[in-house]
Amino acid sequence: MASLKEKEKVLQDEIEKFKDIQKDIQKCVSKRKQLEGQLTENKTVKEEMDVLEDDAVVYKLIGPALIKQELSEAKDTVVKRLDFIAREISSCEDLYKEYEKKQEGMTEKLAKLQQEYQKAVIAAGGGMMKK
Amino acid sequence: MASSSKPEPGVTVLNLASLNIQQLDQLKSSVEEDVGLLTTSMAQLKIVQQKYLESKSAINYTAPASEGKEILVPLTSSMYVPGLLKHNDTFMCDIGTGYYVEKKHKAALEFFQRRTDYVTSNLEKLQQSLKEKYKLRESIISTMQAKFH
Repeated sequence: MASLKEKEKVLQDEIEKFKDIQKDIQKCVSKRKQLEGQLTENKTVKEEMDVLEDDAVVYKLIGPALIKQELSEAKDTVVKRLDFIAREISSCEDLYKEYEKKQEGMTEKLAKLQQEYQKAVIAAGGGMMKK
Repeated sequence: MASSSKPEPGVTVLNLASLNIQQLDQLKSSVEEDVGLLTTSMAQLKIVQQKYLESKSAINYTAPASEGKEILVPLTSSMYVPGLLKHNDTFMCDIGTGYYVEKKHKAALEFFQRRTDYVTSNLEKLQQSLKEKYKLRESIISTMQAKFH
């Protein structure tokens, strides 16, 4: 009987861990989506700035105030942002792959544990039936 | 999960008959989720499209001819102060991520035209994939019905 309880605990723990990993993956996916959105937005801004005349008047919204800014400066900022977002996306992807690998390993382990547990339950149940 | 049902609908359709009811049901709910997502995206895009069109017409009726005209400026939704239209050939356009650019009448119109075109083309693309999803959903349902009988 003790071994059945032990097995149940091990299985329970493993399920918890599996849920955690799934949560991490969820987080990773939503972050990725957000980054993707920012990337497109910044890309359109960059395109828009590229077609502007050099003497165009550009303002940046800082808090509630519009601050005048040089076009070249604004362009630099956007390019830097694009770089940053691209880097974030690739690191996000690496993380995702890592999580996925972990999840795969865990699925196998879980299936095995579940089988063992079921066998133990049946064995225990069978014992009781005989009595 | 959703990504596994996405690649070329043709491939999935071929496999449909070999799936069991449970798998079909799973696939169906995943497709339905996609349909929901696409529908909300379309609704949002339509709102944006409307906004750009409104901005465009706003530029048109503050055309140079209305220089010096009196207008009422809303301070709140129920309180207005009188104002004079002046220097109305320059418009501030929000180009995204907190950047605003001063644009002349013509450039501003062009800007909004570009944005409207961009949104419209995306809407068309969405419409297309939504159609495909619906088709896929239909064939899943008919396969399910065939399995039941």
